[in-house]
Amino acid sequence: MARAFKRKGARFVARLDEDERAVVVGLLEQTHALLAPVPRESTGDAFQDLVSRLGLPRLQDAGDDTPHAPRDPALERLLPSAHREDPELAAEFRRLTEYGLRERKAANLATAISALQDSDGVKVTLDLQQAQATVVALTDVRLLLGERLGLRTDDDADAIQDRLEAALEDDPQLYRAAYYDFLTWLQESLIQALMGM
Amino acid sequence: MDRPWITLVWNDPVNLMSYVTYVFQTYFGYSLEKAEKLMLDVHQKGKAVVSNGPREKMERDTEAMQGYGLWATLQKDD
Repeated sequence: MARAFKRKGARFVARLDEDERAVVVGLLEQTHALLAPVPRESTGDAFQDLVSRLGLPRLQDAGDDTPHAPRDPALERLLPSAHREDPELAAEFRRLTEYGLRERKAANLATAISALQDSDGVKVTLDLQQAQATVVALTDVRLLLGERLGLRTDDDADAIQDRLEAALEDDPQLYRAAYYDFLTWLQESLIQALMGM
Repeated sequence: MDRPWITLVWNDPVNLMSYVTYVFQTYFGYSLEKAEKLMLDVHQKGKAVVSNGPREKMERDTEAMQGYGLWATLQKDD
């Protein structure tokens, strides 16, 4: 039976049984798989590699306007367009920031995964840096689940609760809704502990 | 003189009110009172201007907000 995060001195402590931990780690891993940047192959040229990591087109790619495969809609929410009215600026922002954002999100998720896997028995103990990474990682997991559940408005989020209560056993969305609800509860406790309330 | 740019955060059904407040306090260093007011604007009015200044700074702020999972955009102030 899970127990919410509480601050104990410099640590953040919760209890998760084996199944609960496996669910949370599994969802963190799925989100990591979606977000981790595709490693760019080394060109053997340090300057070209740097240019590539900065998101600038390689010289030989200039003018390559091959259409990209449609993106997973969850990625559009995790890495949203930064300009609502200017697609050119939005594309430039994405080119300059997406690789770094993906790297940082993946690093937060990896920190949360290893912190949960390293835990001793049912007790989960995070230091401040792990807690700060985990609270962001849980956000990205909930954004991904929320997208898969079709959450678009605050009313949709309220409807999740009703749906859980009314759900049929063979409704595959039930599990996502249950995980979503569980992570919401877990994250809220960690935020409150971080804010010292 | 150039018009300043603004960073906007938009309401979404996933981010917790407490988390949005936490992010505004942590990243911008805003007081709890200011962070909560901005969070309530996001929640009730659908969006809030969370910072303003030169375009480069707004790009950094937008990227940081997106790093936290908030739905952030930037634009010229008009």
